Amino acid sequence: MSLSTSLSIAVQSLSAASGELQVTNNNIANANTTGYTRQVAVLQEVAPTADGTISPGNGVELTGYQSVRDELLQTQINDETTSQSSANAQLSSLNSIQPTFTTSTNDIGTEMSAVFSKLSSLSTDATNSTSRQAVLTAAQNLSTAFNTASNTLTTQQSGLNTQVSQDVDQINELSSQIAALNPQIAVLKASGQDGGNLEDQQSALVTKLSALTNVSVTQTKTGMTVTTGSGTTLVQGSHTYSLSTKSVTGTDGTTSVDVVDQTGADITTNLTSGDLGGTIKTRDTTIPALSAKLNALANQFAGAINTAQESGTDQNGAKGAALYNSGTSGGAITAANITMATTDPAAIAASSDGSTGGTGNLAKLSAVQTSLLGSSTASSTVQPAASLNETPGDAYASLVYQVGSLTSNANSESTATTASLKQLNTQLSSVSGVSIDEESANLITYQTAYEAAARVVSTIQSLFSTLITMGTNAAS
Amino acid sequence: MRVTTMLPEIQYDMQQSQQNLSTALQQVSTGLRVNQPSDDPSASANMVKSQAESANVDQYTKNVSTLVPQMQTADAAISSVVTELNSAITDGTAGASGTDTAAQRQGLATQVASILTTVVAQANATYAGAYIFGGSESSSPPFVAASTTYTSASTTLDSTTNSTATTLTPGSVTTIGDATTGQTWSYTAGASNTVADLVTAINGAASSGKISSNITASASTGQLSITTGDTAKGIAVTSDDKSLGSMSATTGTSVANAYAYVGNTAVNSVQVGDSLSVATNVPGSTLFTSGTNVIGSLSKLVTALQSGTSTDISTATNAISTAASNLDEQRVPLDNTITQLDSQESYLSQETITLTSQQTALVGISTATSATNLTQAELDNEAVLAAAGKVTSKTLLDYLR
Repeated sequence: MSLSTSLSIAVQSLSAASGELQVTNNNIANANTTGYTRQVAVLQEVAPTADGTISPGNGVELTGYQSVRDELLQTQINDETTSQSSANAQLSSLNSIQPTFTTSTNDIGTEMSAVFSKLSSLSTDATNSTSRQAVLTAAQNLSTAFNTASNTLTTQQSGLNTQVSQDVDQINELSSQIAALNPQIAVLKASGQDGGNLEDQQSALVTKLSALTNVSVTQTKTGMTVTTGSGTTLVQGSHTYSLSTKSVTGTDGTTSVDVVDQTGADITTNLTSGDLGGTIKTRDTTIPALSAKLNALANQFAGAINTAQESGTDQNGAKGAALYNSGTSGGAITAANITMATTDPAAIAASSDGSTGGTGNLAKLSAVQTSLLGSSTASSTVQPAASLNETPGDAYASLVYQVGSLTSNANSESTATTASLKQLNTQLSSVSGVSIDEESANLITYQTAYEAAARVVSTIQSLFSTLITMGTNAAS
Repeated sequence: MRVTTMLPEIQYDMQQSQQNLSTALQQVSTGLRVNQPSDDPSASANMVKSQAESANVDQYTKNVSTLVPQMQTADAAISSVVTELNSAITDGTAGASGTDTAAQRQGLATQVASILTTVVAQANATYAGAYIFGGSESSSPPFVAASTTYTSASTTLDSTTNSTATTLTPGSVTTIGDATTGQTWSYTAGASNTVADLVTAINGAASSGKISSNITASASTGQLSITTGDTAKGIAVTSDDKSLGSMSATTGTSVANAYAYVGNTAVNSVQVGDSLSVATNVPGSTLFTSGTNVIGSLSKLVTALQSGTSTDISTATNAISTAASNLDEQRVPLDNTITQLDSQESYLSQETITLTSQQTALVGISTATSATNLTQAELDNEAVLAAAGKVTSKTLLDYLR
């Protein structure tokens, strides 16, 4: 037990206190850094050495810095982020689609009503050319409304293709960043240290990745292994396994961008969550279902009108011809291609007996409004879909309901996940967040400790002087 | 629980109150609770159906206001015909009295002939450019002066082979009106029917009594010809078949004071309610030529005054009397329909109000409610902002020396 031992203990305390001050300083500096987990200095008592029958302590040792993490909370946050992104991706698309199905002066429902109104108006005088033209104009406006609605859906789909490519690129970028950090963290851990802010960075990257697709994370000797929810490996040790995209043409002629893993296998249908999953779901499931119903409505409505036309005679005494066709593309009538087959007002087959002023067939044309739409063949239309078995108005109303309900659900999901995330983030910050007040109080504690240790050093220094000058003239 | 910073909480709360403020503002400015389908999917779907029904009701209302004046025109025409007939009865009674000279009877005959012309003009009345008594043939006059012989404009029907082999245009209609009996007969060409079929059909109709038995048709000379073979008996023929060209009367074969009906018996109906259709016309044949034959009986009176006995004149006058009362009865269903339309109009305007209320209930929001919501949202927003301002300002460092 010598003065020099005391001195070295005091110096060690100085170093421990200054280490604590440093970590406090670091915490305060990074109080607002995203993903930063607060660090605490880990102090340990140095093992005492026996000195005869006494075993005095050997001071304090700063063994390292420890980040205060909660892995479970972090995983929960990642999962919730995935759900939120998926809901937001779907909501964004659906919000763009909604206006087309909102009641206005030229939505499908209004234009369909206009056709039937003008037909009824024609029944008061079948030879009135203004009334006949009005029917044609209304029929034209309806086909335009169908075209517009179909176009909105198709445009959304191609926009989503771009989104898929962008998401895949981002996934690859994030994966390689995560992989780059793995060896560095492995080195730190091998020497018994905490991953520190490298782990923080990696954790933040994983959260960003979770926003894109659901991932599961396992810690191995070589670092963090990241796989997608369906088991495709993205990161293993320092290796990145990139995803890529390829264009696929569907049976209806539309191209979509599919996601392919490193072996070339198409994993599109396995990606069900995150922004990528939400985008794929909207593109491959939601929009096609809406398109199918819209096409069936256009097709079966046109078919019903055409059938009614063909059971009557037009103003020139000739047998009624189809009013709608699929234009130059030929094939089945769809909402995208529906167009007028004629622009001649005399072509409306109002008469049932060949007389010019007859209105007997108008009853059949008007009856389309109240009869159930079905798959029947008529002239140049080929019915691809199953019978709707609803009146045109009801079919459109149920389409509006579908769009509204999908959007409303996505909205609720988004709101719920946002609230949930907020809650989880609050909990995480309770564990890992920096409290300025707390750090300020710690500053005072460590400052005092430092001052005390410094005081010990200067006391020992004066003791040394006393010792050295012992037995000399200077001592007195 | 450690509380490290309240900023995320504050940001979330501000976002929420901003969202509510934005919704309240939209509701005030549009007056609608439901501005897009996602606001209330089932209300939106029901709104689509309700608006379709509103559009229908609007159209029914328009139809009613188009039909009423049209039917009133018909009613007025029939009424004036009845007046004319009464005048003819007076003339006929005078002529039948036996006290008039031949010259006086001639004078009466001329008067009745002029009444006949007026009645035919009424029978050919129009409304908004369409003939209202022709059934569904509304673009040409239904009552035409009769002649004994009609021929087709085309004089070279299929000159290469037999003219009777010429194919008729499928769906085209050829009509023969018989001025003597007041009957009307028509033939609609089917696919692959020829002129020979038309000729056979006409001759068959004559022999089976559908038209006068003296009417014959032939086409062997390259031209279709239909004739009564009797200078006192007239017909009128119309055809929209382009193969025949138009049918016209041979010059010099017209029969005086004889008119035939070349319209059809179709009755058009118009929907004025979800389950209410009304007949919009009465065919001219029903009114003026079939049964008691208003026009025919006037023709007969003219002939009787010109060259008949008192008995003939008396018989003819009685026939007109019967025709006049039958015609008067025809006004009854017409008047009933006009009354029905009037009450339908009231019903429809009530329906319009009901539907509008229904739609407001589905998607609307009252100004009072939305204004209150807006005020509340503004207050909430201010409270959140004030609270945020209070709590974010202080840390321990502000108090440490």
